[in-house]
Amino acid sequence: MQQLTVRGTQLAVLVLWLVSWEFVPQIGNLKDTTKFLDPFFISSPSRIAHRLGDLLTGSNGSVALWPFVWPTVSAAVIGLVLGVVSGALVGLILSSSRFLSDVFRPYLIAVNAIPRIALIPIVTILFGTTHTASVVVCWLVVFFFAFFNSYEGGRTVAPHLLQNATVMGASRLAVMRHIRLPFCIAWTLAAVPLAATFSLLIVISNEIITGALGMGRLLVVATATVDASSTFAIAVVMSVLGVSISGVIGLVQGRAMHWWGHG
Amino acid sequence: MISATDERARPSSTDDGNASSAIQVSDLTFTYPNGGVTALTSLTLDIRRGRSVGIVGPSGCGKSTLLSLIAGLMSPSAGRLAVSSFDPHRQRITMMFQKDTLLPWLTATENIKLFYRIHGGRKPQDLKQRVDELLALAGLSAFGNYYPYQLSGGMRRRAVFLSTVLPQPEILLLDEPFSSLDEPTRVAIHQDVLQIIRRMKMTVVLVTHDLAEALSLCDEVIVLTARPGTFAARRQVPFGADRSMLELRRTPEFLRLYAELWEELSLQIDASHKKGDDMRVVAS
Repeated sequence: MQQLTVRGTQLAVLVLWLVSWEFVPQIGNLKDTTKFLDPFFISSPSRIAHRLGDLLTGSNGSVALWPFVWPTVSAAVIGLVLGVVSGALVGLILSSSRFLSDVFRPYLIAVNAIPRIALIPIVTILFGTTHTASVVVCWLVVFFFAFFNSYEGGRTVAPHLLQNATVMGASRLAVMRHIRLPFCIAWTLAAVPLAATFSLLIVISNEIITGALGMGRLLVVATATVDASSTFAIAVVMSVLGVSISGVIGLVQGRAMHWWGHG
Repeated sequence: MISATDERARPSSTDDGNASSAIQVSDLTFTYPNGGVTALTSLTLDIRRGRSVGIVGPSGCGKSTLLSLIAGLMSPSAGRLAVSSFDPHRQRITMMFQKDTLLPWLTATENIKLFYRIHGGRKPQDLKQRVDELLALAGLSAFGNYYPYQLSGGMRRRAVFLSTVLPQPEILLLDEPFSSLDEPTRVAIHQDVLQIIRRMKMTVVLVTHDLAEALSLCDEVIVLTARPGTFAARRQVPFGADRSMLELRRTPEFLRLYAELWEELSLQIDASHKKGDDMRVVAS
């Protein structure tokens, strides 16, 4: 019953928001006196819906959305997967070796301190305005999310679990594989939703800055022509993409990590 | 016949262990590194093969440290510690820790088989049968596919115990294994534990602060002094292998031995207080 109330309230808030957005600017001369209520700048839900339809079908002189969606989504997903796997692996190795941790951790912290957006020009010089560049930039962001979580996961394994394996005669490799690795995976998976959000953010940022093919370029074109309806329609598509990726990750997490939080 | 003797000593000793000794401790001292406390000093013990020996003493007297030394997790600062192996095909030592060692992503059965999981190819053919037998003995048959978070505290301790006995170790070290459980659950588990220990013919060293537990499970009980711990007293426990936990606690012999051990332990606790040890702070 409570869930029904929550859902009902959520729907009411959405409807109120959309109705206000659509009709408040039409009251009197509000749209002429207030810039933030002028549909030229803020568009309206009905116009955005029409433009979204045009973008999805490529009709009414609008470009089709899909050739721009694929490069963004594929770069974000490939970069996310590469970043998560490599970050988790390096986190596992460094958390298993005091020596390697002492040697490499300061370098990783230093590289991580660089605002990732500052790396975009360097990556562009190396790879051009290509899909590969988008993947590399995304990987650079996700790697550190995964690495630091995996590293902490590996380091926080309770000493008695390691001692138990040691008494049983486990080799260093066996301890890594059977005790530390699952903790690293669990901690890394916990970081994936945030990493996924940032993977989309950085790929689109890269496209906006460098003009690489993707949703970012489409957004720049829409903004440059002061096409508020297209800008909002693209933002809606980006939101749907983000929620879809997070939903898939949530499903994977729920299945693989049912024990998490109880252990 | 001793097929191998693991010497952990500083300075090293060439003295072989006694033929029927599973664990020989001679003049052993252990001080934690970097200016840490001396937990054990001049400790001499002989634990015979196949015996179950309880170690009791005031908090902080080095009981758990002694188990860690026997397990090879640490090395003595001085003196000699020899752990004998009589059967090269058996795992020499396993240890049940006071804290839970169940891995949360494995089921109870998978946790019980952890030893074979971490040793890869060394799975015996009758492993499944042995696991099923142990699960039945411990009353966990219906819970083999449960994850640790789905088990009660008592079930979890039983599963941990089974994981330490499944490899059929020659020496089983128990570090306050059931201290987190309530008394009725503990007594129920003791009966199962005793049955499994007897069946597998293991040498058992049990560290506990519960004298009744030591008398219930062991053939003899050793009392250590206050920190730094050393040998204080030894009592034989004359109860048979088929002792009943519930009946045992009502016998005059049990009560007499309990009183004797309590008397000895009280002396050591008094000594501990006189030394100024804070029993709540110092972990044994």
